[in-house]
Amino acid sequence: MVISDPVYFIALPLLTAFLLPLFGKIYKPLIGIIPGLVFAFIAYISFDLYLNLVPGKPIVIQLAGWAPPWGINLVFSEFSGFVVTLITFLAFLVWVYSYNFKKVGFDNSKKYFTLLMLLVAGSIGVVLTGDIFNMFVFLEITAISSYGLTAFYKGRDSAEAAFKFLLIGSLSSTFILLAILLLYKQVGTLNMAEIAVKAQSIDPKMKSIIAILFMIGLGIEAEMFPMNGWVPDAYSQAPGPVAASFAGMLAKSGIYALVRVFYTVLEVDGIFDLLLIMGILTIIFAEFSAMRQTRLRRMLAYSSIGQMGLIMVAFSFNTKAGIFAGLFLMFNHAIIKSLLFLASGFLTYSTKQKKIRDLDGFGKIMPFTSLMFGLGAFAIVGLPPFSGFWGKLNMLVATADSNLYFVIALILLVAVVEVVYYFKVIGRLYFRQQHKEVEVHKPTWNAIAAMSVLAIVIIGVGIYPDLITDYLTKATNELFDKASYIHNVLPNLSLN
Amino acid sequence: MQEFLTYGIYGTAFFLMLLGLYAALVKKNLVKIVIGLSVLDSGLHLLFVAVGYISNGTAPIFSPAVVGKNVVMVDPVPQALVLTAIVIGFGVTAVALALVVRLYRKHNTTNIDEIKNLKW
Repeated sequence: MVISDPVYFIALPLLTAFLLPLFGKIYKPLIGIIPGLVFAFIAYISFDLYLNLVPGKPIVIQLAGWAPPWGINLVFSEFSGFVVTLITFLAFLVWVYSYNFKKVGFDNSKKYFTLLMLLVAGSIGVVLTGDIFNMFVFLEITAISSYGLTAFYKGRDSAEAAFKFLLIGSLSSTFILLAILLLYKQVGTLNMAEIAVKAQSIDPKMKSIIAILFMIGLGIEAEMFPMNGWVPDAYSQAPGPVAASFAGMLAKSGIYALVRVFYTVLEVDGIFDLLLIMGILTIIFAEFSAMRQTRLRRMLAYSSIGQMGLIMVAFSFNTKAGIFAGLFLMFNHAIIKSLLFLASGFLTYSTKQKKIRDLDGFGKIMPFTSLMFGLGAFAIVGLPPFSGFWGKLNMLVATADSNLYFVIALILLVAVVEVVYYFKVIGRLYFRQQHKEVEVHKPTWNAIAAMSVLAIVIIGVGIYPDLITDYLTKATNELFDKASYIHNVLPNLSLN
Repeated sequence: MQEFLTYGIYGTAFFLMLLGLYAALVKKNLVKIVIGLSVLDSGLHLLFVAVGYISNGTAPIFSPAVVGKNVVMVDPVPQALVLTAIVIGFGVTAVALALVVRLYRKHNTTNIDEIKNLKW
């Protein structure tokens, strides 16, 4: 138990990220090996901590010996622990996939792994922290490392995508900072649990302004509708595994922060209605844009925005069923979208334009990668027996519980749209003749291993959803029970 | 005098923020956009310090000169936050300028309208 401490999630990747160039000086292959060891270790301790978590008793850690509300604390609860476990698991798989990624030479892999570790540390920090300003700092760590990762390939238009991302991202951080300032001015504290207690006395108008500022700021990382112009560019210009980690880590920590702020920290009337409307707009915008895309990566990026919109809608119901469905969709999105991005990395590798019509007949020449892509597509659309089916089913049940029948219609319509554009790709992969000779890039053994693990998880959860429903229920209860969160962080304060 | 100072500081902060926002959103030159983001940040930092100020307060340092006496101190928390925010702003500006250099090398221009390989 001594070794399993949530501090390692943040401290270890941050420390090794900056020591990595030094390790490289000693022995070059260490650059690739050390991140793997770190990711394996944090994945191991997050599983260990999460599986041994006592219900209703989250692990609260004080940093630097200052008790909350003065010091910064980390909260490893059923909900944050679930997201952290998901992030560390994906981080390890992304490492397995990119361990000897072909285009990455020594100098590049140094930068790549340093930035990837910073991204992981930042995303985990956003999820674990119990201090609102600290959350901002971690969001910035995540954001800056994502700019770097987006601009990673020098040959493409990646700098353009990264600059666009940076422009939107730094405007968003200004909004978050302004929201934190206004909040601090009102309550005089930065601890999330203490804010939750004192926020009841804030003027409702002021509270709505703060909530809207938070929504704009955090919505950018959560890929919410008007602020998601960066998503298709960043996802299509970044390396394949990076796109997978954006979907699995960056977007997940963004939606976590949004949900934590609106469920626990600030309770504002009408904010969930606004979230519902924004979510619906996000879905409509994204799914119909995805249908028109001719490039595979941009299509996947728009589809990812659509999934995030669906998650926002699920969380906006403010019911237990809604949160449960939202968590299930978060899990599905992280696992399935990562698989799709990892597979697309090899599918588009040998095509110059990365267009969908260049993929004709790839099912014969790249059987494994095509199979993985097809499996991911079937799962994300929501066909049984894959995990995507259970996510969508729970979503429909939750929507019906909230009596929002037009949302049910929308979800079904969107499923049809998804079928259209995903099956268009599958049709080209399997039912067309290859029209020109291309140099085939067989996936490396580690890429095969990473994709297989994801595929096994998708099928396993699809056939036997009870594997995770238990944990999701616990996470739902934790998020819904604001009073116990406050009590666990600050035993002397209570919600009255 | 005190009131004038208060309004002056808040006014300057909002003016800087609007100026920065204008530059970041309207200007076509990449470097000017980066400058705009930087000015926007500065305005916000000024607002932070202004919010933490308590009239006639001294620096929040516990020294023999103030301990035990009835001295008003300004709120140290916003100042600590501003220090962090300045460092973050510096980092973002550095990354932004590095990207501008890369864009200039590739497109030979800093005009945002001429860099349109991706849909803006």
